[in-house]
Amino acid sequence: MIPHHLRLYFHFVLARIRTQTAYRTSFLLDVASNFLITALDFSMIWLIFERFGNLADWSMWQVGFLYGIISISFGLSNMVGRGFDLFQDEIRLGTFDDKLIRPYSTFYLILVHQFDLKRLGKIGQGLIIFLMANAKLSMSWSIGKVIFLLATIVGGTCFFIGLMVVGATLCFWTVQSIEFINIFTHGGNEAGNFPISIYKDWFRRLFTFVIPLAFVNYFPTLYLLDKADPHGAPAILALISPLVGIIFLTVSSQIWRFGVSHYQSTGH
Amino acid sequence: MRVYLEFGRKSFQKMLQYRTANLAGMATNLFFGAVRVLIFTAFYQASTAEQPLSLHQVATYVWLSQSFLMVIRMWGRPEVSDTIRDGSVAMQLTKPVDFQFYWLADEFGKSTYFLLMRALPSLLFSIFLFRIMIPADPLTWLAFLTGILLAVVLNQSYIVAAFSSTFWTLDATGVGGFCFALQTFFSGFVVPIALWPDWLQQIASRLPFEGMINFPFSIYLGEVTGVDILVGFGKQILWIAFFVCIGRWGIRRGLTKLVLQGG
Repeated sequence: MIPHHLRLYFHFVLARIRTQTAYRTSFLLDVASNFLITALDFSMIWLIFERFGNLADWSMWQVGFLYGIISISFGLSNMVGRGFDLFQDEIRLGTFDDKLIRPYSTFYLILVHQFDLKRLGKIGQGLIIFLMANAKLSMSWSIGKVIFLLATIVGGTCFFIGLMVVGATLCFWTVQSIEFINIFTHGGNEAGNFPISIYKDWFRRLFTFVIPLAFVNYFPTLYLLDKADPHGAPAILALISPLVGIIFLTVSSQIWRFGVSHYQSTGH
Repeated sequence: MRVYLEFGRKSFQKMLQYRTANLAGMATNLFFGAVRVLIFTAFYQASTAEQPLSLHQVATYVWLSQSFLMVIRMWGRPEVSDTIRDGSVAMQLTKPVDFQFYWLADEFGKSTYFLLMRALPSLLFSIFLFRIMIPADPLTWLAFLTGILLAVVLNQSYIVAAFSSTFWTLDATGVGGFCFALQTFFSGFVVPIALWPDWLQQIASRLPFEGMINFPFSIYLGEVTGVDILVGFGKQILWIAFFVCIGRWGIRRGLTKLVLQGG
């Protein structure tokens, strides 16, 4: 069952990739502009550090390390979870009805329906900053740490997809406008570019306990860079962080199921 | 002139339909404002060095730019460029009006909408909730509002010029991306230009973009005064003239090449 789903998924992804690369110039421009626009986030980090020097015990490249991890996760989630981002159209146009009569779960069908290749721009940009940070910080990697890093990225991707799923689920009731969730997806990405410890208490708690953004890159970075949390968070939080994203996505998919059971078609 | 006012009014009315979207957008603007102010706060608290702008000034700058973002129409993607793609531009071209001014009127209607529905409420929030600075001198207000008005026109003529390339490329996403990236960075939206390294400030002052964000808000902060304000207006006007000419040229050349898409 699972291999069949996977095979079908790659089949769809390949088809999406072929359509998106059909107009090569346009596609390359898209990737390049995605790269450039997202690189502006780092320009903010650079400009501020250039002006102020270090931020408490964080240097620019340590923040770059944080930035790289969240950028890659966010880029991947946008690439894979695009279907949930565009979900409001399915509701508005009534095309979601088709999905209900197919022999696969709706969650799976929405996921396979879209794949956004131009996000390679964001992912590439995050990867470059990450590698530069890595070189500047002269990191020493062990196999365990590499596995932990990969798990962290998977967990972060799951977290952001989870948010997109929640946003899409809201559409079952609102029919349009899921822009509200952008506060947490794009806003979370923006906030997560800096260590969560620098924010005010209410903000830090919101993005640790309610929306577990801190587990996407902050706690893992503390562990990988061997830093301590100034607010005294236990070190174990770092090690479970990849799990948090996965649990978050699992919970979101249950919320999604609940949403589907309340679906009323807008009709064709 | 009347006909363009009418186009502007139509685009204003169209925007009125999206009330929930506007609320969600406002919440997003405020959230991003909060994040950026919190980041600056952390840096100011961690450093003891004297800075060209105080934290209060930077916070005011951030809240102002978040409030006026949609009025200035940063990253505003003109719908007209989409009509080139799907061929419905033919309908616009049959009208006996100047295409570029029609395009600008459409954008202006949106700016007016966002001034009333987004900027004013956000500004009230910023004043009462976040205690931003309020200039006492009515002349500062006058200069600030003039600066904003010119910033709107400057940005719109820039967008029209940039997106007239849609006549050639059909899909505006790529070109738009580059233009928006330039604008976002050099306008001082990301970080106020006064905080930049000197060499980069030199570059920014020779480009049109600082007139879109940094200049009007620096008037508000009292950082630009006297003759410098007039010089700033002059620069804005020159760049407007420049982009209007580029846009005119682009549209005229584009129309001779235009192949209508779709059917």
